[in-house]
Amino acid sequence: MRIGHSISALALAAALVLAGTAARAFDAAKYPDFGGVWTRAGSGEPRFDPSKPPGRGQEAPLTAEHRTTFEAILQDIAEGGKADLPAYTCLAPGMPMIMNADVPMEIVVFPEITYIMIDHIYESVRRIFTDGRPFPRDAEPAFIGYSIGKWIDTDGDGKYDVLEVETRNFKGPRVYDESGLTLHPDDMSVIKERIYLDKADRNLLHNEVTVIDNGLSRPWTVMKTYTRELTRRTSWREEVCAEVNGHVKIGMEFYKLDPNGYLMPVKRNQGLPDLRHFKE
Amino acid sequence: MRSLIGAITVSAALLLPLVGAQAFDESKYLNWKGMWDRGGIPPRWVQAGQKAPLTPEYQVLFDKNTADQKAGGHGMEPSWMCLPPGMPRIMNVFEPMEVIITPPTTYLVISHIQDNRRIYTDGRDWPSEIVPTFQGYSIGRWSDTDGDGVYDTLEVETRGMKGPRTYDTSGLPLHLDNKTVVKEKIYGRKNDPNIIINEITTIDNALTGPWTVTKKYFRNTNPRHNWLEEVCAENNPHVRVQNDNYMLSADGLLMPSRKGQKPPDLRYFDKASR
Repeated sequence: MRIGHSISALALAAALVLAGTAARAFDAAKYPDFGGVWTRAGSGEPRFDPSKPPGRGQEAPLTAEHRTTFEAILQDIAEGGKADLPAYTCLAPGMPMIMNADVPMEIVVFPEITYIMIDHIYESVRRIFTDGRPFPRDAEPAFIGYSIGKWIDTDGDGKYDVLEVETRNFKGPRVYDESGLTLHPDDMSVIKERIYLDKADRNLLHNEVTVIDNGLSRPWTVMKTYTRELTRRTSWREEVCAEVNGHVKIGMEFYKLDPNGYLMPVKRNQGLPDLRHFKE
Repeated sequence: MRSLIGAITVSAALLLPLVGAQAFDESKYLNWKGMWDRGGIPPRWVQAGQKAPLTPEYQVLFDKNTADQKAGGHGMEPSWMCLPPGMPRIMNVFEPMEVIITPPTTYLVISHIQDNRRIYTDGRDWPSEIVPTFQGYSIGRWSDTDGDGVYDTLEVETRGMKGPRTYDTSGLPLHLDNKTVVKEKIYGRKNDPNIIINEITTIDNALTGPWTVTKKYFRNTNPRHNWLEEVCAENNPHVRVQNDNYMLSADGLLMPSRKGQKPPDLRYFDKASR
């Protein structure tokens, strides 16, 4: 029998007495040990469904209209274009791509909030609020969205074992991975996650991710697995996209920069950038 | 009596490397949860009545930066290209800050330009090799300065930085050798839990001596903070081509950033398309 317990009462009360001098103790034994550093399991390039090849191989259940868009993007990429993929302008990957865990992620759990930190392209910190709040009416849309979670004790043993998360309130452009598979530009996506430790191996974390998006003909569910690092991490790589990005976008076109910073075309026969703002 | 958490955290780090959600007693730390901001204080390093104690060489460089900025340039200021401000500038707290305290690590989360910091409080020593980063490598130590059983002060030392870094948008430079050491004493006031004080001492070869400034951060008492996601690249109108600064117009086209600036060299483009 599934028994759902939200932690709302305790945590909400805690939030409202925030200004107290000392923080409170919490019973970590009630929560699964999600803490630490996690690396995506499996090999190959990071992709939304790790069980399938990237690109068309993902077999995404796209609507006919969105499949046409996807094919156009693949064609542009085949010709050397960048198809307005956000990584080429150092935009934050956002949800759900961030959960591909291109780089290791760190999770910190408190009763009222769980943090997921991933420094890929943009230093993203997901805040998953578990204090019983509703979705706010006035939050600014974000690439990572707004996440509300609920801890569940699925086997009734008095300990939470699953974190269910719903994420809304997005902005774009967002992609599932770097193959060119995009989410719908209306940014109405709803993403649901069930995050839990493997019962046999507590150093494996599973994330069942379901995307509901107007670019899809039905909800698309994939299973992601992450492996816990078993030794204490002594350092973190600082990934600064702007420091290494060799692309610029001018108008609607991408261009490359050579090592000396000269503009180069990314596609054969690409036209000149529009320089109308310069006086002859 | 000053009691350090060293013994507890070292043993935790050694015994529990696999365990992230260690049971820990949050009541042993001051409650710094929530959103902290500058309280409207401008994000400048030089405070009223102060002058940066720059060496003559770096005063010349600063003057050059100032002149370049007046002419429409950026001097050494790196944030216009979305490079992280790094330490110590991060602690201007340009955007609101969240402090996440766990026994082995204190996280300072500031959604600006990759301003997030990890301060290790697990008793570790400096690693033999540090890969330089803008925010540096920070080791901290909690202390209970008044012996009441609550850690109230976090002393932090940060090394291993890379550059270019400035103290703020004025272009006030740190030394290009990146040998900066930043020491911080971050503490709360028990009679006013909504203020954090940070005494920051910068030791840098561009300075004639250690330079201490004090920052204050103020708690936003709204329990439902609206954390904004600031992605520098999203609205950055600056682009760098041939090591020169250009701007993008509202329609995304390249435009000069200063009077008389020539368009970039298009040598790689087919002559037929010119």
